Amino acid sequence: MSAPEKPAPPVNYWTKPYWNAANEGKLIIQRCLDCQKHIFYPRICCPFCFSDRIEWVPASGKGRVYTYTVVRSNAPSAFIGDMPFVIAIVRLEEGVQMLTNIVGCDPDEVRCEMPVEVTFERLNENFVLPKFKPAGSE
Amino acid sequence: MGIKGKAAIVGIGEVPTGKFPDREAIVCAIESARQAILDAGINKDEIDTVIPTAALYSPQFNTELVGCRIVEEIGLAGKVKNNVQIFSGGSSSCNFLRIASGLINLGVSRCILCVHADKLGTGVSAQGGIDLFSTAGISKEWEVPYGMHYSAIAGLITQRYMYETGTTAEQVASVCVSNRKWAELNPNAMFRKPLTVEEVMASKMLSTPLHAKESNMLADGGSAFIITSAERAREITDRPVYILGEGSRVTHFALSQEPDLTRFAYAAAAEEAYREAGLTPRDIDIAEIYDSYPVFQLIALEELGFCKRGEAGAFVYEGNTWPGGKLPMTTNGGMLSQGHTGAGGGVAILVEAARQLMGKAGERQVEGARFAIETATGGTYMDTHVTILGTEIP
Repeated sequence: MSAPEKPAPPVNYWTKPYWNAANEGKLIIQRCLDCQKHIFYPRICCPFCFSDRIEWVPASGKGRVYTYTVVRSNAPSAFIGDMPFVIAIVRLEEGVQMLTNIVGCDPDEVRCEMPVEVTFERLNENFVLPKFKPAGSE
Repeated sequence: MGIKGKAAIVGIGEVPTGKFPDREAIVCAIESARQAILDAGINKDEIDTVIPTAALYSPQFNTELVGCRIVEEIGLAGKVKNNVQIFSGGSSSCNFLRIASGLINLGVSRCILCVHADKLGTGVSAQGGIDLFSTAGISKEWEVPYGMHYSAIAGLITQRYMYETGTTAEQVASVCVSNRKWAELNPNAMFRKPLTVEEVMASKMLSTPLHAKESNMLADGGSAFIITSAERAREITDRPVYILGEGSRVTHFALSQEPDLTRFAYAAAAEEAYREAGLTPRDIDIAEIYDSYPVFQLIALEELGFCKRGEAGAFVYEGNTWPGGKLPMTTNGGMLSQGHTGAGGGVAILVEAARQLMGKAGERQVEGARFAIETATGGTYMDTHVTILGTEIP
């Protein structure tokens, strides 16, 4: 039996710019025009000041690993072939947190507070997922 | 106006947890409800409100719960005023208490039956269970595409907790040993064979640093309790279990948005609960802490004021939470040993708190227990609830 297809994210009108940018190899996040705070994941209104005046800005793509786990067994069906793989929460320099995968290194080399930078991996013909790799790596 | 001393649990029921392919979920619901009514010693017609929580294994069975099947099966049709579901995942237990005691306090309901039943042990396959919990309560947009699932969630939290506190892998593993010591004395538990730290450490690695024996096992089961006003409770029994205080916070939807994976909101929730009850950690005889994974018991021991930050691991490793220890913890064995029945894992822990305070815990009875603290958390640990229960109103 072949593995089921990887789950693709549903796209809503307010998140479309994020996925379009990812397709072009760019990481963008939201910023509130009223309170100036950065926002991720993309929101319909600002969770801090409740404004609906939100703009998209390029993200630095740099951050640190807040925490991580190496999935070694009991993965969801679509991810069994990927094991071992790293799931991590990355804190960007802008202060927002994202769930991601750490790629481009041995899974056992990942550590909390390790500096990382964004990279992009194609999921399917429609989607590119932002992921992270050790800072300064190829 | 709070709920302190206004409502009390007067009856409990529970069926054994485990893998019972031939036992229908409705049997778990009705048998648990029947036990709770008989335990309270009331006429069933006194119940005017029935509150089932959700079953996850089958949408069909869940709509039967929503559709008043329990009311009809136990012969309360035409008598019960309302049947309404309360569901917040693992924290359904505390939301049962909060909402039921609120209804009683307002005079809207007089006697409430809260019930849980599910068949996650045999109603879904092993891989089906993993797949169910790679989407249930997980952000489809921002987390599911990265392979997120509950073992990984526990791995992420445990990793950061160990990094910040210096807690060792053996200390984390010792939580499972503590829970098993209690489950050895619990006839309703799924796992009752003695367990060692070495066995936990030697078990398969799921998502680092989480070992297989640090993961709960999905199970079939059911439990129920009856709650009524304090005045009525005193007529029914000479040992009502009063709700003395409660506190809670919702902290996130997507786990990646949680600002502190090593604390969540246990301290804020506990502070509210202690203040309402007029009690401190020193007054607590039993800590019925929601597990599902061992790290949550360590976090709660610290944030509820039983241990200093970073010292819970050694506290558990040294046996302080075992039978006969300074602070009996999760005395039914928790979801790590009694088994994880979905929303019912938390209900079973709440029922155990009541059982201990009623003096009905058999071989594992904590002698002289007057006050118990109980916690629950739902979904991806999205909310934190703390409740204090007692046999007297301080």
